[in-house]
Amino acid sequence: MIYLDNNATTRVAPEVFAAMQPYLTEFYGNSSSAHTLGRTMKQAIEQAREQVAALIGAADTSEIVFTSCGSESDNWAIRGALATQPEKKHIITTLVEHEAVRNVCRGLEKDGYEVSWIGVNERGEIDLDGLSDALRPDTALVTVMLANNETGVLFPVNEIGRIVRERSSALFHVDGVQAVGKIPIDLTNVDLFALSGHKLHAPQGVGALYIRKGVSLPSFIIGGAQEQGRRAGTSAVANIVGLGAACKLAQEDDDHSRIRALRDALENGILENIPNARRNGDPENRLPNTSNISFEYIEGQNILLHLDQFGICVSTGSACHSTTHESSPTLHAMQVPYTAAQGSIRFSLGRYNTEADIETTLRVLPEIIEKLAAMSPYAEVSSGRREKL
Amino acid sequence: MTDVLSHFLNPRNVGDADEPSFTGRSASLACGAHARLSIQIDERHRVSQARFRAAGCDVLVASASLLTERIAGLTTADAASLAQEPETLVGVIQHREHCPGLACDALLDAIREYSNAARDDWSGDEALICTCFFVSERTIEQTIQTQGLTTVREVTSACNAGGGCGSCHQLIQEILDTHDLP
Repeated sequence: MIYLDNNATTRVAPEVFAAMQPYLTEFYGNSSSAHTLGRTMKQAIEQAREQVAALIGAADTSEIVFTSCGSESDNWAIRGALATQPEKKHIITTLVEHEAVRNVCRGLEKDGYEVSWIGVNERGEIDLDGLSDALRPDTALVTVMLANNETGVLFPVNEIGRIVRERSSALFHVDGVQAVGKIPIDLTNVDLFALSGHKLHAPQGVGALYIRKGVSLPSFIIGGAQEQGRRAGTSAVANIVGLGAACKLAQEDDDHSRIRALRDALENGILENIPNARRNGDPENRLPNTSNISFEYIEGQNILLHLDQFGICVSTGSACHSTTHESSPTLHAMQVPYTAAQGSIRFSLGRYNTEADIETTLRVLPEIIEKLAAMSPYAEVSSGRREKL
Repeated sequence: MTDVLSHFLNPRNVGDADEPSFTGRSASLACGAHARLSIQIDERHRVSQARFRAAGCDVLVASASLLTERIAGLTTADAASLAQEPETLVGVIQHREHCPGLACDALLDAIREYSNAARDDWSGDEALICTCFFVSERTIEQTIQTQGLTTVREVTSACNAGGGCGSCHQLIQEILDTHDLP
């Protein structure tokens, strides 16, 4: 199998699995228990907290709170930030956020909040002036992603945070889920920061929220006093240990210059050899592992299923599996033409990809595209002639 | 499902039917899919060639491929009635109920184009109304009179007219309206 879908999830690293294993076997205690076994669990959690803090550059380990996933972290950050400022009813976010942010903000609109949706340009770069102009005295929260899950394009969160601080009293939340483990993180101007374990070779089912010292959020999950009373629920120690180990691995063994070279080889090979292929997103300012390519006049899901026959895993921004029209909001915001957005494929590489993976992909892909182009109702795509419906 | 996968991975009859041919199209705003189906009809009113193009999901591609195979050799009337039952193509697949329908819509559109052309070219003495089942205006009038029919549906069950692609329903209604006059 050739796994080029690392932005969806990643394989648990062997180092991570090894670190977790004792906490799935001999160390089975509850970290809230006062006995030795309980304290052993507690120590493991605190070590993981240090490892997470070290990777993202948190000043104090107490700023890290473990959650069940990135979505929980995002939900908590947004709702929590609003709860601490009940008099403020305005939120700023972008049109290209992950559902965990976008759909929460959509729901809040229905609950009476006003949301300013900031757009991006054709390269996927945020409209900084628009964001700056949108800030108001009653802005409670600015929430943006660091790295886009579809295109990998990075937002300048340090600069955005500076603007937010200089011109408002709003809290600033960053959805860092897709970025952690892939690029260095700078929390200088950030109040809240969400991350998810399974995007960086930890298991699914664990995430964290960075909460800057001085910012206090009400609990999202109410119950016991776990996580210093900030997040109830018995700690998933093995998963938390896995997240810590994954952060340690990412910090000690940064593989991203190699991954970037593989990504570039794949992308250049496609753009040079396949007609009607175009890159979506700024080529420089993006994650080193992500390449989003549109194969115009072809359906992305068809490409995906044909690649799957060769054991190659990718994802598509096209949503023809759904009965509602939900073709990628990110590509829509970037004004990618419809016929190109429908044929978008996201290749996201990772630690375990090899040159051979890229060679194989570049060998099978042109034939698949040629076959599908020959089937396209958008006329003789292969000959370059265009005909619209 | 095996049929769907096989027809998706190796779609039959991709492309355009040789000229002279009749082309139908369909598209869905719901999912963004787009299909085109072209047919060639021989002098016995049978589908001598059917080809398709599609940009859509695997179910659409497989449905269109299956459909082109199924209608080969059928009269336009039989092909049109097949297209009225898209659920018989690949069965009902959850969340994809509309995909086979898109392929069928493109076929019905192609048959309609053929029907309109056939009506224009009709060289018989009487006006041809239903080009799928080749029912003339006189036959329809006689049927309406002798059986006292008042709806298109009754006309269709009495003499087949309007039972295919449906493009003559308006014409049948007009004949009915004439007979309704006091």
